[in-house]
Amino acid sequence: MKTPSNRKGLIGLATLAGLIILWFLLTSVTGWVSGGRFPSPAEFWMSLKQISGRGYAGATLASHALHSLKLVAMGFVVAVLTGVPLGLWMGWSRRAEAFINPVFLIIRPIPPLAWIPLAILWLGLGDAAKIMVIWFSAFVPSVINAFTGVRNIERPVLEAARMLGTPRWRMVREVILPAASPMIFTGLRLSLQASWTTLVAAELVGALMGVGFVLNMAQQDIYPGMILVGMITVGLLGWATTLLLTRAERRALAWNVAARD
Amino acid sequence: MGSISFQSVDKVFGGSVKALDDINLEIADKEFVAIVGPSGCGKTTCLRMVAGFEAASSGTVSVNGRPVTSPGPDRAVVFQQFALFPWKTVRENIDLGLRNKNLAIGERSELIAGALKLMNLESHADAFPHQLSGGMQQRVAIARAYVLDPEVLLMDEPFGALDAQTRVVMQEELVRISRRNPRTVLFITHAVEEAVYLADRVAIMTRRPGRIKEVLDIKAVREREAWDKYPKIEDVMDLESFVHLRTHIWKSLREEKGFKDV
Repeated sequence: MKTPSNRKGLIGLATLAGLIILWFLLTSVTGWVSGGRFPSPAEFWMSLKQISGRGYAGATLASHALHSLKLVAMGFVVAVLTGVPLGLWMGWSRRAEAFINPVFLIIRPIPPLAWIPLAILWLGLGDAAKIMVIWFSAFVPSVINAFTGVRNIERPVLEAARMLGTPRWRMVREVILPAASPMIFTGLRLSLQASWTTLVAAELVGALMGVGFVLNMAQQDIYPGMILVGMITVGLLGWATTLLLTRAERRALAWNVAARD
Repeated sequence: MGSISFQSVDKVFGGSVKALDDINLEIADKEFVAIVGPSGCGKTTCLRMVAGFEAASSGTVSVNGRPVTSPGPDRAVVFQQFALFPWKTVRENIDLGLRNKNLAIGERSELIAGALKLMNLESHADAFPHQLSGGMQQRVAIARAYVLDPEVLLMDEPFGALDAQTRVVMQEELVRISRRNPRTVLFITHAVEEAVYLADRVAIMTRRPGRIKEVLDIKAVREREAWDKYPKIEDVMDLESFVHLRTHIWKSLREEKGFKDV
């Protein structure tokens, strides 16, 4: 059982190592790519040391990263706590769907980033505006997938629960929620991705802290090494949060993951 | 007590498609009645109306003289596709109906133990449904229904999704448990042998719009010819009295143009 996943991990590491060697060759060794366009590993390392120690754009990398992480977490959690129940409700009640869907259909095609100007106008350049925009962008996938999750529940399962005399609240908690949970988790994953995308965009437009702000400052300073540090930091943060979510999903859906194996 | 009564029941789908036409059928307490008929004749609709999943367009479906209005644990259903809760263990699946009745935990575990024993599931109590074979899953569904001690048991082609060997085992099991705990059973199937082997009476339906064409008394023949002496289904199926009934139903169904099953 272990060998295939180990081998997969090894191949992944090898690819990564290959890329780094290629990077090294193209920049430091041959100089084919000039330092003004893309940093060499050495320049990257210097930038990383600078922002980790003295700091850059007003803070150290850890503070910037933590700040961004906090905003994503808050926006994501608010989006999930509002989006999933709304999606479940719309999936369960045709009337709720009839009421809410028209509004949803109009709002949904608006790209989340189009909310940024309004958010800044209302709430300024601070955290609240960013949380609002993240909320709006992460909200949609949570709603849609929770809705679809409920609609896809097999009819006999619901009928079995009704036949057993299951009261309403227990029906929601023990039948509808678990039955829809594989789709709900798909929605959460998409919501998390949307959260990071939106956060970086919002911080690029206007911020005083955060990884997007680092990127924006590095661009203005024409500082390729620092741009790369910012990009890789976002990538790692996105990867780590997705990993956490996947862990939670695996735990919550043990009955389902095992069924797929 | 668990009598079922269909009185002049019609069912129309979508305002125009007549599915059932003037169904009249009285099922006595502890009687096992099977309905056979061609695909799409509305036999499952009959069961769903007793379950409370669907309402009659006209006429009355009643259980113990009370018209059916909604689903409830007094009318336990066993579905063709098992309809277990995959996120619950076998024990939790069986327990849900008991919890809904607000029984004390001690009483519940006693009843669950009894149901597990009845269906030979003791060693699988903590397994999840996906870890069990189809036959085992249907045992869980039957246990989940039996544990409620329902007045009537509604079985909608319960063995239709099982392979041939498992099916025979389950049929014998059902005979065993229904002899030990007699219940009023409404059993829907398109398998003629199954109906004759299991039921006290067999109702034959016409193709759509479904009407009850004929009701055969199997119990009288079974008792006269002492079918219960034979422990194996294949021995009963070889008896001349069994073959005679089966052929009769078979011919009756063949007259219905829509009959392509089996």
